[in-house]
This record gives sequence, C-alpha cells and structure tokens, in this order.
Amino acid sequence: MSLKIAERSNPPTITLTGRLDTATAPQLDEVLNRVLARAGITRLVFDLSGLDYLSSAGIRCFVRARKAIEPGGGKVALINPQPAVQKVLDIVKAVPRGGIFKSIAELDEYLDAMQKQVRDPD
Amino acid sequence: MARGFRTVRGRMLFWILAAALPIYAGALYMSYQETAARLETGAQRDADELAARLAAGLDAVIRPIQGGVLTVAYQLEEVSPPPAQYLQRIRGILEAWPDVYGSTIAAEVAGEGASSKPFAPYLYRHNGEIAYSDLATESYAYREQPWYRHPADTGRPVWSAPYFDAGGGETWMVTYSVPFYRKLPDARRIMAGVVTADLDLKWVQGASATATLGPIGMGWLSSPPATEPFVAPIGATASRIEQFDRSMNEKAIRAFGEEMLGRNETFRLLPRGLTAKPAYLAVRNLQTLGWRLMLVIPRSELLAEARVLLERQLLLGAIGLGILIAAIFLVAARVTRPIRALAEAVGRASEEDLDFRLPEASRRDEVGVLTEALRRMRDSLQTHIQLRAESLAEQARLTHELQIAASIQQSMLPQRSSAAHLPPAARVAAALLPAKQVGGDLYDYFARRDGTILFAIGDVSDKGIPAALFMARLSALLRVLGAEGELPDRLLAGINARLVDGNEACMFVTVGCGLLDLDTGRIQYASAGHEPPLLRELEGTVRPWVGEGGPAIGIEASGDYRLREGFIAPGDTLVLFTDGVTEAEAEDGSLFGIDRLSALLQEAPEGEPAMLVQRIVDTVAAHASGFHATDDLTVMAVCLSPSGVIARREANAAHWLIRPEISAAGVRQTQHWLHAILASREVALDRTGEVELIAEELLTNTIRAGGSQGRDLDLSVECALTPAEIVLTVRDDGPRFNPLEQRDPDLEADIADRSVGGLGVLIVKQLADACRYSHVDGRNVLEIRLRRAPGAT
Repeated sequence: MSLKIAERSNPPTITLTGRLDTATAPQLDEVLNRVLARAGITRLVFDLSGLDYLSSAGIRCFVRARKAIEPGGGKVALINPQPAVQKVLDIVKAVPRGGIFKSIAELDEYLDAMQKQVRDPD
Repeated sequence: MARGFRTVRGRMLFWILAAALPIYAGALYMSYQETAARLETGAQRDADELAARLAAGLDAVIRPIQGGVLTVAYQLEEVSPPPAQYLQRIRGILEAWPDVYGSTIAAEVAGEGASSKPFAPYLYRHNGEIAYSDLATESYAYREQPWYRHPADTGRPVWSAPYFDAGGGETWMVTYSVPFYRKLPDARRIMAGVVTADLDLKWVQGASATATLGPIGMGWLSSPPATEPFVAPIGATASRIEQFDRSMNEKAIRAFGEEMLGRNETFRLLPRGLTAKPAYLAVRNLQTLGWRLMLVIPRSELLAEARVLLERQLLLGAIGLGILIAAIFLVAARVTRPIRALAEAVGRASEEDLDFRLPEASRRDEVGVLTEALRRMRDSLQTHIQLRAESLAEQARLTHELQIAASIQQSMLPQRSSAAHLPPAARVAAALLPAKQVGGDLYDYFARRDGTILFAIGDVSDKGIPAALFMARLSALLRVLGAEGELPDRLLAGINARLVDGNEACMFVTVGCGLLDLDTGRIQYASAGHEPPLLRELEGTVRPWVGEGGPAIGIEASGDYRLREGFIAPGDTLVLFTDGVTEAEAEDGSLFGIDRLSALLQEAPEGEPAMLVQRIVDTVAAHASGFHATDDLTVMAVCLSPSGVIARREANAAHWLIRPEISAAGVRQTQHWLHAILASREVALDRTGEVELIAEELLTNTIRAGGSQGRDLDLSVECALTPAEIVLTVRDDGPRFNPLEQRDPDLEADIADRSVGGLGVLIVKQLADACRYSHVDGRNVLEIRLRRAPGAT
C-alpha cells in the first residue's frame, strides 16, 4: 500500500489515499511544488478521508503548504482525518483546530462565514 | 519290512498271508488232531483185539482143565469112592492135561462121615515122571492152606491167585480148587474135601510171549492185584522196553493201570514221570481169571503216522504258500507296474515341461481310469500354466507401467531442488507417501512472477490410478491457472469449473491453497473442503489457521470460495497436511489425530521446515507401525524467513531482530515486518499503526542523524512480544545522541511559525507508554514500551 494523490480545483483540493510517510512524502512534495507555484493560490484543501497513516514526514508537507499560503491570508484545510491520523495531528498540533473539518460541507460553511466576515467587517 | 509294507506288493503279501496262514494252520491242526484221534482209536482197537486173543488163548487152556476138575469133584460126590481110588483119579487129571503140574484130592477130616485121618495124596510132575507126595503131614496142615480153606468156606470152586511154588515146582502156578460133598442118607450134603489142580503158568508165559503185539507198543499180561502178581510180557515187549525206556517203572505203571480199571478207564496218557517219554496206557480186563492186559504205547510212535502226515502236509503247505507268494508278487507287479510307470511319467514333469508322455491307456481297469484322469489333469494344467504365464506377463507390464506412472506422478510434484529456486525468504518442505504406487495426494508450490509464493495441498477422494489421473489434471490446472496471478479463491473456482465439467466418475478433491507475500508476511488462503492448516508460531503456540472454506473441488459447478487473509510473522511455520496424517491408524485402532499433530508441532524445536516435515512423517510412521498405510500421506511446511529478520524464541517472549536497509524502503520494510508480527499476534490495528509510526519516526531520525556515516550505519530494530507488552528497541552505532533529551517543540506556537524539528520524537513520546535511552558499547539504545491494547492498564 502506498500513497495515491488526486487533485481537484475550485477549491484546489488534494485527495490523499493510503500512507503518507517518509517514503511517500516526496511524492506529495512534488505535487505541492507544482500547486504552490501557481500564482494567487489562497486556499488548499487536503482530503484525508482515505489516508490510513500519517507520519511526521507527512505533517511537514502540511506545514510547508501552510507556510506558503497562510502568510498571504490564505487558508489550508484538512478534511475528515481518520482517528489514527487525527491522533497524530493532535499530538503535534500541526494544524490549528480551526483548520480541520469533518467534511467538505463544514469547510464550505466555514468559508462562507469567512467571506461574510471579509465583506462585512462589522 | 516297514519299508516293504509301504508298497502295494508288501501290503497285499501281508494281508493275504495274514488271512491264509491261520486258516492253513487251523486246517493242519484239525487234520493232525483227527489223525491222532484215529490213531488212538486204532490203538484201542488193537488193544481190544489183543485182549480178546489172549483171553481166548487162556480160555482154551483153562476151560477144559476147569471142566475136568469139576467132573472129578462131581464123580467124587456121586460115586463117593473110597480114598484109595483118589490117586487113580488124580493121575487121570495129570494125564488128561499136560499143563496141570500137580493135583490133589484133600479129604475133610472133621464132621460126620469124614475121613478118620487127614488124607491128601498129591501127584506132580517131576523130571518127566509123575511123582507122589503126601500133603497130610504134621508140618503142612493142608486144611489151613488157602487153596483148601477158600473153597471149603465158600462152597464154590476157586482159582487161587498166582503164586511161585518155591521148593516144589519152582515155577509160577495157579491152583483151581473145587470142593466136593458127600450125600448123607438123610439127603444132607456135607463137606468131603477139595480137589485141586495146580496149573503151571509156563504155558501162560509162552502164550503171552508168542502173542502178536502189533507194530508198536509193549505190554504185559498180569494177574489181578496181589502181593506178588504174576506178570508175563507180551511178544517183543522186552526188547521194545530196551529201546523205549530201560528205566521204566513197570510196577507203577501197572498200579496206574489198576487205578484206571477202578475208574472204568481203558486208555489214557500216562502221567509224567512214569515213562521218560510220553506214552499212552491201554488196559483191559480179560474176564478169564480177572487177568489184565496192559499196553504201553509210546505217543511218538503212535502218532508217528500223524506226524509224517503233518510233515507231508507242511511240505505241501509250504509249496502252496510259495506258489501263493509268487502269485501275489506277480499280481502286485501287474497292478503296480503301470502305476509305477505313471508315477515316473508324472515325476518327470516340471513347471517348465508339463508335456510329459503318459502310457497308452489301453487298459479298461482302474489304472486306465487313473491314466485318463492324469491326462486330463496334465492338459488342464498346461492350459492353466499358459494362462498364468500370460497373466504374469500382463501383470509385469502393468507393474512396469505403474512404476512409470509413479515416476511421472512424482515428477509432477515440486522436486527437492525446486525449493532452492524459491526466493530465500520462503522456506518450503514437503513429503508425500503414497499408500499405493500412485496416489491421489498432491502438493505444489512455486514462486509467481510478482514474487509471491503459491502453495497448495490436495487430497483426491480415491486412491490408486483413478485418483492419480485426477490428481494429474489438478496439478496441471494448478500450475497453469496459478501462474496467471489469480488469487487462491478465484484459482480454486477456476479449477473447480474445469474439473466439474465431465466429472462422470464423481471424483472430488479437497484443496487448500495459499499465497504468501514474502515482503509483508501476508497470506491469502482459500480452502476447498480441506482441513485447515496449523500455524506454528515462533513462540511455540499452535493453532488452526483459518476456518472451513468452500466445497471440495469437483462436486458443485458453482463452487464459491472465500479468500481468507492474514499474516504470519517471520519464523512462523504454516503446516498443511492431508488426512493420511490425522487418520493414520495404530495397531490398537487409535487415529493419529489433530491433537497429536498439534502436540508434535508444539514440542518440535525450531528448525528448518524439512526437519519438521521429516519429524511428522517419522512420528506418524511410528504411530502406525506395523500397519500398511491405507491412505496417502502428505505434509507441507511453509516458513517465512526473510533475510533481514532474525526471529528467535525466549522464555515467554518472541524476539524479532530487524536489520533495515538504510533507506526509506528499508524503513518501509521494517514497518511491514512489524505489521506482520503484530497483526499475526492479533494486536489491534490502531496499535499496529502506532508501532509502525514510532518505528518510522525513530528510524528516520536515526538515519538522518547518522547521515554522515552514510550507509555504513549499523542499525537494528528489535521487536519483542510479551503477553502484555510490545517492546521496540532501536540500536545504532551513530553519534551518541539521546533524542528524548531534545526539548519539546513549543506546541503553543502555531507550527507554521516554528521550526519543524523534533516532531517525530514528540509523536513517539506521546504514543509510547515508556521510553528509555541508554548508550551501551558505543551504541545508542532506545527502548520503547507499549501496552498491547491501548487504554488497558
């Protein structure tokens, strides 16, 4: 079993299936290289529904994405991590609580709220 | 004789003689007895004749003298002459009968009319003259003499007993005395005297001596018993006594003769002792004067004729017997010669040459029947032997074919060398012991192109050639379909579909088929009605590996087989077997059974699968010793033994020492082994994932830290399983470094704002129940402990 990576746009989404570890993280790094190189990317979603295993090497990928996007006001979101993955994420606090969502719908809701906030600051 | 008795001739001889000899002997005996009786009768008759002759001779002499003396007495009574005339009358008597030696007329002196004085003139012969003597002397007292008293007292004529007249005639004599009376005027008769005549017995001796005695025997004429009896030998008696028995006791014999007369016996065998040799005694009373005839007849002489006859009969009998024996020999020879000829003819026969010649069966007797029967037997034997030779040849051909079939079948199984062609991580051994030359058991294993090992074991429902052929089809299908990359469930379904088709013989086969991934320890297994294999874990525990599967192959067209997935740890051995193992029957009827097999596996020391297989085969053979195996017996052991893992067992824990390649792939492989170990020991999947994560973080860190030494880093991960804990120990000879002393990253700050080092150690610390660092012998040693079940105390 290894890692499968699928990309979608609008919002830009990377779906990870399998294991994200030392061996497979370079694959994700390659994808990130390409994705993060795009101009004006403000949002990146990692769909973790199919991710069975996550090690610190994988977490570094997420951190790298955040460091690339979030300073410019962008947002990296993780969707639906499995308990084992959630546990690792919790341990290292790789993503703030606010960055992890149960589902795409929850994320959409959050984003909508954010946009409202931007449009109507008070 | 004992040898002769075994032949027909000997037996015929024995029985015929046994019957003939007693008859012959009986006839001889009867003939002899009859002859003897006839001879005895003859001897008696001879004695009678002799007695009659002697009596007649005596009578001829005595009667006239008796008459003469009676006449004189009568005249003396009638005429009553004066005594002076007595002499004249006495002289008359002497002159009339020359055998009269002397005579007297003795007068009675007592009583009326008696002579006044004794008067007894006696005339006798002397030297040819007639001499006179007067008996009336003082000294003689004739009236007291018996010859006078006896007739005087009885009043009857009396013959005296013989006596020897010593001093007178010097000869044996008898005296005849007749009383005479005188008639008185009153008609009374009174005793007047006695007339006597002395009879000289010389003539009796003469008559006796001249009597013809007959050809045998000896005898005497003897007077009635008296103090001194008169005895006259008859005929040639004297010389015959000389010849027969000189010491013969004649007196005793005559006494015995008198006893016989007293018992009215006339003829009998003399008691022993009276004669030297056995002899008969014949006695006769002659009536005349009561004289006796006694004849001694030697038995040998009397029966000489009988013996001669007997001898002649014996001779004739011997000749007859000789002829009989010759005849028996002849007949026996005629009977046995053809039988001997037959026996010789049959004796020459052997299995190779049954074409023996039998004598022509021209005879119509039993021998002919026997010959004919033998001929028929020979012919049918020839036919039988020819058939047998053909069937033996056929059998040999079949045996040869069977041997070839067996070797072909053997060649269908993986050869010993094919185990060597497997990747080194797979160690497989198997044994198949067919109950017959060819069998219905099967095992197979081979490496597929993807690096997995396919292994299978099968047991066809039957044995022998049909099973072997079915097994051959199965073997071919397994190889062809198995190599195509199908998983075991699909593989079994595919084989089933092909074997059900046209399975008119309704054969079926149970198959257990598995696929072993040598990189992960994963086994995918499917069973078609086959008994579950046993897994012998490194720790020594033994358990059935999976439950029942689908139906046996060949029965249902829509055979549906489930794939069971699981893991085995390095050092574990999966043992597959057929019912030839569990159903091996001991002499007492007990089956080897799954329990014995489990116990055997549990006790078996760690070692090569080949040793384990051999141990099973040996133990089963010992259990069923003395019994011919009735079922094929197959065992296969599959052991995972990857080169990077050293598996060993200690007291109550199993240890795996993993030496990973210094690379990401090495880390991944380590995770695989840890997964195989924990999954096979039924550690929860979450826990397994955590252990994998810990391993990855630690190894990655170590490899990164030891990067300066590059690939020379000596790195190992040891996994130990106790009943409660999982203990991971990572050792490396990199620079001394205790990751646990690293300050934890500031988790309060957003990770995006801090350096990303130390995350792995953080994860490890968080997941582990205990962590301990030490530096031993120049090595970093990091020990991580986890409870088997998370959350459990």
